[in-house]
Amino acid sequence: MAVTLIAMSILIFLLVELMPGDAAQRVLGQSATPQAVSSLRESMGLNDPVWVRYGRWAAGMLRGDLGTSLYMRGVPIASIFWRKVGNSLVLALLALLFYVPLSIVLGVLAGVKAGKWIDSIISFLGLATMALPEFVSGIILMTLFAVRIPLFPITSVIPIGESIWSNLNILVLPALSITFVMFGYVSRMQRSSMISVMNSDYVRSAVLKGLPLRRVIFRHALKNALLPTITIIGMNMGWLFGGLIVVETLFGFPGLGSLTMSAVKTQDTPLIEVCALFITAVFVISTAITDLLYGLLNPRIRYPGGQ
Amino acid sequence: MKRIMYIARHNPLIFPALFIMAFWLAAAVVGPSLTHFSYTGMDMDHQMTGPGVGGHLVGTDSLGRDIWARIVYGSRSILTIALLTSLFSSLAGVMLGFTAGYFGGRVDALFLRFMDIMMAVPPLVLSMVVLGVLGNSNILTLTLIVSIAYTPATARVARGALLGCKNIEYVDAARLRGESHLYIMFREILPNTIGPIIVEVTARFAYSIMMVASLGFLGVGLQPPTPDWGMMVIENKTIIKAAPWAVLYPSLAIASLVIAISLFSDFLGKVVLRDQ
Repeated sequence: MAVTLIAMSILIFLLVELMPGDAAQRVLGQSATPQAVSSLRESMGLNDPVWVRYGRWAAGMLRGDLGTSLYMRGVPIASIFWRKVGNSLVLALLALLFYVPLSIVLGVLAGVKAGKWIDSIISFLGLATMALPEFVSGIILMTLFAVRIPLFPITSVIPIGESIWSNLNILVLPALSITFVMFGYVSRMQRSSMISVMNSDYVRSAVLKGLPLRRVIFRHALKNALLPTITIIGMNMGWLFGGLIVVETLFGFPGLGSLTMSAVKTQDTPLIEVCALFITAVFVISTAITDLLYGLLNPRIRYPGGQ
Repeated sequence: MKRIMYIARHNPLIFPALFIMAFWLAAAVVGPSLTHFSYTGMDMDHQMTGPGVGGHLVGTDSLGRDIWARIVYGSRSILTIALLTSLFSSLAGVMLGFTAGYFGGRVDALFLRFMDIMMAVPPLVLSMVVLGVLGNSNILTLTLIVSIAYTPATARVARGALLGCKNIEYVDAARLRGESHLYIMFREILPNTIGPIIVEVTARFAYSIMMVASLGFLGVGLQPPTPDWGMMVIENKTIIKAAPWAVLYPSLAIASLVIAISLFSDFLGKVVLRDQ
């Protein structure tokens, strides 16, 4: 995990630092005198070799110093970054609250009724929503529930001076757009693991010894069928944050995604690096937690030689 | 053939899916000659007019540009890029994944480690940052970057497919005959793993369309005035109340194409699965 993070931080740093164009020139604009540019280069430390700059940057990150923004002259990134991350976290949590129960319930239903018409409908819905880019489902939701029936606002901006908690209605459409995409992955996973568990010997013997089907599903099958689903939800946390970029841009929601987008648009190198590193870290850490959780929930893989 | 028809009868959605795919293919090939509007032409008498008004099939945007013409021209670039991307990333994936899986041991361990690192960044974030940093995307850079972003995923599939039939007798036979590694990988193993790999190529095709559309939406795709489905959505989002058709039809174009290709890929998967 640490190796992946370090390798990724080097990759992100190199990628962004080696981009065409000069950071000092960008700060000062095209009309700046060469003397001004070179003195700023000196004071920003841009004349040092790449590995020295990486070392300085990485040390800053470890201390929690995120650096200063290029585009917003000298504004410390930390002063805006964590607030935006907080907003995104609320949005992501709401989306999780929507799609996890929905996908599990419908996935189990499709798995138990495999081959029946209800399974066909749920499977088609999963396939279709999984294929749609977040902004397409977002536009469809927006046309229906913000333009046709004006239940929710078109843009999800938070008025100045107010917190996200007093504006929860702006979160509904963005969270639903994320739900669309995630529902496909999770419900398909849940369906196929449910089918394989229902075909296993211990479930068959539970059915044959005369237990009611409901009891077999909830007491015997579900426990094991949930394992792969938990893995897929954990693994998709990185995906979720990638999807936030599109959804937040569509709705104008002030979160990590739209911050990343504006950093790329304004070529704000330090900010791009922080955003990309954070999204990577979320993915790496959530994958590690998923692995741990999986071991905890599934004692078979904890012992060498088991499984 | 009989079995394919049998599976098709049990998955009737494949027929509309094939029809939609053929429709967009035809639109890309001959569509531009069927519409008499150009994708940049501005009709000053019809700005933000609804479907059907002034001969504009699905209406116009705020500059009076014909949305249908822009969708039709846009189908060319998105289909080209997505097709090339799915082919390139699968090709690169097969080469990498096969090499790692075939030689195993340290090569394989190194490969897995590297893929773990590459997969730690969501492909969309990776492509967006790189394209944004490079600036001024064109068909070439888009194809290249998205292919690279997708290669880890395709390499894993290829490696898995190879491991499934690496230790079968005919491979041992070829080895004993003294065939080269390349011959064994591509003449013995590849034909036997071609099923899952074709399924992966078609699934990748759908993902690529999704990705190219999203990149266009984020403004790091093809640059204006080239029409791009994703870009059309974000361009016209500000007028969604006055002219909902300007965002809805490009979105529906993307939706119909990706869903149709996904259904097709799902169907191919079922055909291949029964094969084994």
